[in-house]
Parts: sequence; structure tokens; C-alpha cells
Amino acid sequence: MYRHIQALQQVSRRTLSTSALRQVENKVPHKQKHFQEDNGIPIHLKGGASDAILYRATMALTILGSAYVIYELVCAAFPKKKE
Amino acid sequence: MAHQAHAYHMVDPSPWPLTGAIAALLLTSGTAVWFHFHSLTLLTMGNILLLLTMYQWWRDIIREGTFQGHHTPPVQKGLRYGMILFITSEVFFFLGFFWAFYHSSLAPTPELGGCWPPTGIITLDPFEVPLLNTAVLLASGVTVTWAHHSIMEGERKQAIQSLTLTILLGFYFTFLQGMEYYEAPFTIADGVYGSTFFVATGFHGLHVIIGSTFLAVCLLRQVQYHFTSEHHFGFEAAAWYWHFVDVVWLFLYVSIYWWGS
Repeated sequence: MYRHIQALQQVSRRTLSTSALRQVENKVPHKQKHFQEDNGIPIHLKGGASDAILYRATMALTILGSAYVIYELVCAAFPKKKE
Repeated sequence: MAHQAHAYHMVDPSPWPLTGAIAALLLTSGTAVWFHFHSLTLLTMGNILLLLTMYQWWRDIIREGTFQGHHTPPVQKGLRYGMILFITSEVFFFLGFFWAFYHSSLAPTPELGGCWPPTGIITLDPFEVPLLNTAVLLASGVTVTWAHHSIMEGERKQAIQSLTLTILLGFYFTFLQGMEYYEAPFTIADGVYGSTFFVATGFHGLHVIIGSTFLAVCLLRQVQYHFTSEHHFGFEAAAWYWHFVDVVWLFLYVSIYWWGS
């Protein structure tokens, strides 16, 4: 009975700990080579196309947001009078 | 890239300081618009912009340090000074709320009944959930130290296990504190007792969430082999922050929960 429990412990330890970790391979050397390429691209865009998409979305929100703040400010400064 | 003849880091031009500043503008004006005109649009935009800025800015720092090798010893020294100064500023932030608590509780006004806790306030038993919370955070301090030693000794699996345990303890604290907030017999509107209690513990809880998030990012990085046994400052910064959060709780527990009950 005890040997069964031991075997179960070993199997679960192996499947839970090592296989879950073994699936993650070390991509750091690959990333180091990619980001050290001398192509003049700034760091915030150097990752690839998804960087550009995220940057454009962020900048769009920045500009839209700034415009909306000014709009709300103007609305708050000149409230509509009821007749 | 042998373009520089010094060990310092001259960063690439970046849009994130601007987007972060605009996020702050949207958050502050959004709060005002919410209060006066009941619209959450600006506030929501501000939060999204803040999250986008934080994600991309810190992603870029990881790229600059881990992938480009810019975090040389002098640069790392600067980062250490920076984190220490930031945590010091947070200490002063909490000091203000402790000042408020002691101001009101050391000389309770006649309106409160001339006593502390004020008349009518049913306090929480410091030896129930608050004591458990203390044990949880102290234990998490041990596990985060275990994680650090594991990283320094190159024990990958142990580092992942102990870091995960630390984060789980952080979540457990947040969950327990959430339950306490729900079940508490007093609210933030219950005079100066409620104000000092919920503002001080509330900001502390927010810092636990921030610290847990920081540690979670470190866990992801540890799994992805970012940390070496000699160079893992991101983790050290997270561990310092976590110890700070733990110490603040100890002061909260002794002052507000125990002495103040």
C-alpha cells in the first residue's frame, strides 16, 4: 500500500513540476540577438509589428483623450442656460 | 553595438513619459467630471492609458536590461538608489495617515465621547482575522527570502515554487482583508475612526495588490530565464517593496487594530 502511495507521489511530482517547466524553453539568447541588431529602431518599436500596433493605439488614446478633456473643460466653463 | 565609451545608459527617445502624463491628466480631470457630471468616460480612458503606459514602459526596461545588456553595475546602482528613494517616499505617504490616526486617537474629542475607540464603535478583534493576516504576511516575508536565496543559488524549480507561494499568500491576505471589509460593523463614514481605519488599511491593501502584481511579473520572468544568479535586480526591487508592505502592516496592526481597540 505504501509503495503505491510512493509511486503516486513520484508520478505526480514529475508531471506537476518538471514537465510544466520543461515546456518553457530559454528564449533569452534569441531575444538578445534580436534586440541587439544594429537597425536604428528605437526600443519601443524594436519588438516587431505588434509593438507598432500597440504604440499607435496608445497614442490615439492619448490624443483623443486630450481632445476630450478640452471639450469637457469648455462644456464645464460655458454651461447651457435654461430659458 | 559599440557606440559608447562609458558604462552608463543613454536611453532611446520614448513616448511613454508623454502618454503617462496625459494619463494623469485624464485620471484627474476624469475624477472631477465623474463627481460633477456623473460620466465615467474620461476616468476609464485614463485608466486604460495608464495601464498601456505601464505595460510598455516596463516592457522596454526589461528589453534594455535583459536583452540589450544596458544594466551595467553603475546603472544597476542607480536603479537601486531609485527604488530605495521611491520606497522612502511611500514611507512618508503612510506616515501622514499614521499622523492623522494618532492625532485623533491620542486626544479624543468630546464629540467622540472623550474616549478611543469612540462611543458606539464596535472594533474588530485584533486576535482573530487581523492576527491571521499578520501571520500570512510574515510567512510571505520568509517565502520571498527563500525565493531570493533560490535564485542566487541557481535553484530554478525552488525559486519558482517559493515565489508562487509568496504570491498566493499575498492573494490570501487580500481575500481575508476583503472579507473583513465586508463584515466590518463600521464604515468609512463612521466618524474619524472609520476614516482613519479605512484610508490607512485601504491604501495598505492597494499596496499589497501592487506588490503581488510586481512579484507575479517577477515569477513570469523567472520562468522565462530572465534572472541569473548574479543579476536579478527586478526581483530584489519587488522583494524590497514586499518587505515594506509587510512592515507597514505590522505598524497598522499594532497601532490601529491592537492599541486602537
